[in-house]
Amino acid sequence: MANNDKIERNLNGSEAIAEAIFQEMQQDDNTILIGEDVGKCGGVFGASRNCFSEFGENRVRDMPISEMTFTGMGVGMAMSGLRPIIEIMFADFLGVCLEQIYNAIGKIHYMSGGTVKMPIVVKTAAGNIGSAAQHSQCLWGTLAHLPGLKIVVPSSLYDHKGLMASAIRSNDPVIFFEHKELLLKRARSFLSNPIVPKKTYTVPIGKAVKPRIGSDITLVTLSYSVELALESAAEVAKEGIDVEIIDLRSLVPLDIETVLQSVRKTQRLLVVDEDYQSFGVSGEIITRVVENIEPTSLKQIKRHAVPDVPIPAALSLEQVVVPNYESIKNMLIMMAKGS
Amino acid sequence: MNQIERFKAMVEMRFFDEACLEGVPTMEIHGELHTGIGQEAISAGLLGHLKNSDALVSTHRNHYHALIKGVNPYRLMSEIFEKKTGICQGFGGHMHPFSLKQNFSATGIVGQSLPVALGYAYAFKMRKGDSLAIGVIGDGAANHGTFHETLNIAGAWKLPLLVLVENNGYGISVPISKVLATETIAERAKSYSAWGKCVNGDDPDIVSEAVEEAVDHIRSNQGPAILEAVCNRFRGHYEGDTDHYRSKTEKHNMLKGDPINTYSEKLLSLKVLTENEIQNIVQTSKQKMFGLLKRVRGEKMPLPETALNYIFCEKTDG
Repeated sequence: MANNDKIERNLNGSEAIAEAIFQEMQQDDNTILIGEDVGKCGGVFGASRNCFSEFGENRVRDMPISEMTFTGMGVGMAMSGLRPIIEIMFADFLGVCLEQIYNAIGKIHYMSGGTVKMPIVVKTAAGNIGSAAQHSQCLWGTLAHLPGLKIVVPSSLYDHKGLMASAIRSNDPVIFFEHKELLLKRARSFLSNPIVPKKTYTVPIGKAVKPRIGSDITLVTLSYSVELALESAAEVAKEGIDVEIIDLRSLVPLDIETVLQSVRKTQRLLVVDEDYQSFGVSGEIITRVVENIEPTSLKQIKRHAVPDVPIPAALSLEQVVVPNYESIKNMLIMMAKGS
Repeated sequence: MNQIERFKAMVEMRFFDEACLEGVPTMEIHGELHTGIGQEAISAGLLGHLKNSDALVSTHRNHYHALIKGVNPYRLMSEIFEKKTGICQGFGGHMHPFSLKQNFSATGIVGQSLPVALGYAYAFKMRKGDSLAIGVIGDGAANHGTFHETLNIAGAWKLPLLVLVENNGYGISVPISKVLATETIAERAKSYSAWGKCVNGDDPDIVSEAVEEAVDHIRSNQGPAILEAVCNRFRGHYEGDTDHYRSKTEKHNMLKGDPINTYSEKLLSLKVLTENEIQNIVQTSKQKMFGLLKRVRGEKMPLPETALNYIFCEKTDG
């Protein structure tokens, strides 16, 4: 496990994102930020701090609680030459504005025969943080199902800044799923890459990364679960189980090649996903693996996700439905025993 | 813009949609088609009031707005007929035409034109020009949440937005009078610090006068406007709609008041046009639009192997 005590910039995820937004807005006057409490407040998780005072109200605009309309405004803004970043405070609220996301933002480049681009970022805070059924959902699988949207889900602190910069520069629409745990987690507690350079940089969208190399089991995951997986893998390593972890970074595009290379080596695949299980990320990853690798050459395929229930309020209930350090560790031990 | 131009525009629009109707029984247009037949006077009333830089965001019933905004009729009809020569190469179809050059777009989802128009309006205000955005809706969309959200934002920030309501009396089969809390839609304007007026949408002169007032209000930075133009939808909601929910008497009376006939009679009595000149305009427009139809029918459909193009504009293979 990394010793991060000496990291100079002890940023959290929200500060890394705010820095990317700030720097990108400095570089392009057409980039604007709209959403609820993104102005003076700097975002309820702080992911747009410092932007309002630097760029002013026209470019950093607090919106009324009208998600449906301000998401649609992003479409008109994009058609007029602006590059809007739209903050939807919680991923759970995507339902309120999904129409504009999947019927307009995701389709207009296609419907227009390639003549109209949608350089829009919809950023939103996903993931469980103890806030029960309506403020804890991930929903990246739901959005990844819909054509025309790039789905970016950062894990490491380094990626929070680099992927946000790429999302803002993308001429395609990006739905950027932050995880609340990671927005608040500081560099010194990160297990994956915690170094955030001050200068601008980008991380390409569509390339997975392996924060841990191993030979026994391929664990494919994303977002906060990468941190949990790293912790679990370190623990089971003591018992001689050598886990390779793949952080997908984005669901669309999906870097299946990196997954296939690893699974060919380990022959064992575990997909961990904090989103709902059925018809989602885990099913898609496993399908693509068995479409590409002869199933008989695989020893084990498992998945671990939220078992299709709303996230409960009580901690005792939450712990049995949301993948966590213990549950991931147990899955790894079970798989190792089964081989 | 003079009355003759308005009349010509109305007749051309009518024949444009009548030419489109030819493609329905033949399955050349193999999905839905919503024509604007009966509602020509409203778009004709916009003539002369819009600049190319103004944005117009329309609805599922969008052909007339596209034509008034300057979209090439041949390329528009090609799109409606699903041809490669269409403004969207056949990827959009009749409900989803886009033309950045004219700042024209549409949506097939009721109520969703308004937020997009508002986004344009925000950008225009930010850039301090005098362009404005028009969001067109029908009476049905006036009851959508976007109406309230959009006008509230536009009113709060005095954005240059014209909400043009084409009130044809019906949301598919439901009479607006059955589902509206107020007498008119325009009277909601005061809730949004907006300019508002409800006018007869069958007479392009009346519409034009009201548009002028609304546009003056907006361009002088006084905030948004709601212009409600009352009209009739001569055909069913879409081609194939049996329209059984309207009585024969109602439909008969409606057709008696065809705005094109009424307007030609008006121009005759005002001696703006002679009977001969009117017939000339009708014949020329018919030839023009059916000539377009002939050309469009000869065009090719997009190649099947291009079906996966344009999902993204940037490479996605990592």
